Amino acid sequence: MSRKSERLVNLVIALLATRRSLTKSEIFRTIEGYEGSEDSMERMFERDKDELRSLGIDIDVSVLDPLFEDEQGYRIKPDSFAMSPSVYSAVQVAYMSLAAQLWKDASLSEPSQRVLRKLSGIASSVNIADIPSIAPISINAPIFLVEIINAISEARSIDFLYIDSDLNVNKREVNVYSYFSNDGFWYFKGLDINKGQERTFRSDRVVGEINVSKNSRSYEVPKALSDKPIFEESSELLRASLRVRVGRGSQLRHKAISIVNEGDHDLIEIEYPFEKEIISMILWHLDDVEVLSPKPLRERVIQSLQHLVDSHG
Amino acid sequence: MVKRFSQNQVERLLDLVPYLTNNQGVALERIAIDFQTDKSTVIDDLNTLWMCGLPGYTPLELIDLSFETGFVSIRNAEVLSKPRKLSSLELATVIVGLSILKESISKSSDHYEAVSTLIAHLLASTNVPAPVSIQSKVDPEIRQVCEGAIKTRQRIQILYHSFAKDIETSREISPTGFQVVDGREYLEAFCFVSNDYRMFRIDRIKSAVLNGPVLENPVHKTDTHVLHNFSLSTHSDYRNVAETFQVKTDSINLANTEFESSAFDDEWIIRTVCSFNGAVTLTSPKDFRSQIVARAKKAVALYV
Repeated sequence: MSRKSERLVNLVIALLATRRSLTKSEIFRTIEGYEGSEDSMERMFERDKDELRSLGIDIDVSVLDPLFEDEQGYRIKPDSFAMSPSVYSAVQVAYMSLAAQLWKDASLSEPSQRVLRKLSGIASSVNIADIPSIAPISINAPIFLVEIINAISEARSIDFLYIDSDLNVNKREVNVYSYFSNDGFWYFKGLDINKGQERTFRSDRVVGEINVSKNSRSYEVPKALSDKPIFEESSELLRASLRVRVGRGSQLRHKAISIVNEGDHDLIEIEYPFEKEIISMILWHLDDVEVLSPKPLRERVIQSLQHLVDSHG
Repeated sequence: MVKRFSQNQVERLLDLVPYLTNNQGVALERIAIDFQTDKSTVIDDLNTLWMCGLPGYTPLELIDLSFETGFVSIRNAEVLSKPRKLSSLELATVIVGLSILKESISKSSDHYEAVSTLIAHLLASTNVPAPVSIQSKVDPEIRQVCEGAIKTRQRIQILYHSFAKDIETSREISPTGFQVVDGREYLEAFCFVSNDYRMFRIDRIKSAVLNGPVLENPVHKTDTHVLHNFSLSTHSDYRNVAETFQVKTDSINLANTEFESSAFDDEWIIRTVCSFNGAVTLTSPKDFRSQIVARAKKAVALYV
């Protein structure tokens, strides 16, 4: 392994240092490690180029003599290979290091560790002690976040197994548009190809791996992505008026658009997009909350409470 | 193409040169830590690098390394001395990390603007998408107070919303550390009200004020929490039920059998069953069933 690594590093150094492109015969003649017959050196060089490209190194190929198209020249342009010294300021390097450190022990700890190594190769790094060194201490992003990001950046569709609301596992195919995190969970959003509608998926409900399609640019990622996560297509906001015991109903108060005190109770107005969710929250509070309006909501809550009495009696 | 990381010697060597150039005299052990490998691999890497250089490969062209003393210095490695550009995967970790960082900084801080600008700067050079949003219920200011308290060993006075009991109580605590459980941030602290260690969900801390230094380390008491077992039958809303009560099963099992679960807080069990609006019925214990009936009756009485 070491001999091959040595040859590859030597090749990188030579291709980087040269001002003009090097021909294959120059490479074979001058770079240590190319040995054997012409054919075996050719094969070696092809494999080496592939390997360097797989490491993300851009080898520039040019035709040296227009009359002899076979005679190609090779080099690595320094500005495509290395960071330019001034690309990030010292403070920016410090922020980026901090950002990479957040992945410690998390799903992307390896590439983020590489970031730290590269950044520590930039001179004059500063230490910003007054940045809250904190942050969410660890990131619980799924390991397949990489695949999601990759799929979006190259517009590749993905497929995966997903647990639906009835707990059945189904295969889903999605043109993925965006990803986000909300209250400790990671989500991604896109067009569900079979349903023909946009859907949002919670990453911990994905079973196993995500497969990314080999076809890139297979759809258009919409330019304007809403900056609000949409869990379902929400209809218009409904308004309810509640009577809540003083000192209780913290979750409801959090949603309140107005609170008026009435002795040992408060009158609270809230807006909500989904009835199911709000009924659930009202039931949770049992006798600390009474629905005053709208009437249908009031009726449903009474019914649900009565059902609780009947089914547990 | 964003690729997952692989331990590749060539890649490591190319990163090693700028790292050494900018950290002259670094200890072998330190390199091993920073490169997430062991010391013998580092020595192997250095021995390989020693044979590399510009064509000609006389001492004039070869990279010059010394590491016999256990501390590494490098010379004659100009060509590789600048760090490689960040790959798209590496940029992705930075962009996501910065987005999380930005969310955790209070908007009034100078850092907030600086980090926002940096994210925009990085996005301009790549097609790696940033997260559309990172939302947390944790107030950055409160997290900052907690962090300060831990660092400077101070007590804090907090207003805490006890979720299951649905009351806000003021209490003095002495924080010892942060923890993340299932993606939620907790503050671990000695609570002077319960006279024991407790975990506080940071998003339920409504206010926090520093309250003077910690005088002595309180002793850890034995766990007095009681785990309540209960059983449920399920009628619909299966995924939600499985996630809330942490049952690992499929819908067929969930629909046809009673399942058992357990929780520390009886209030949580009763209120959560009620909030499921008929999707679950609590089948045992009896005592909890009668509490549900009594409290639901009380609630019905509000409407008559």
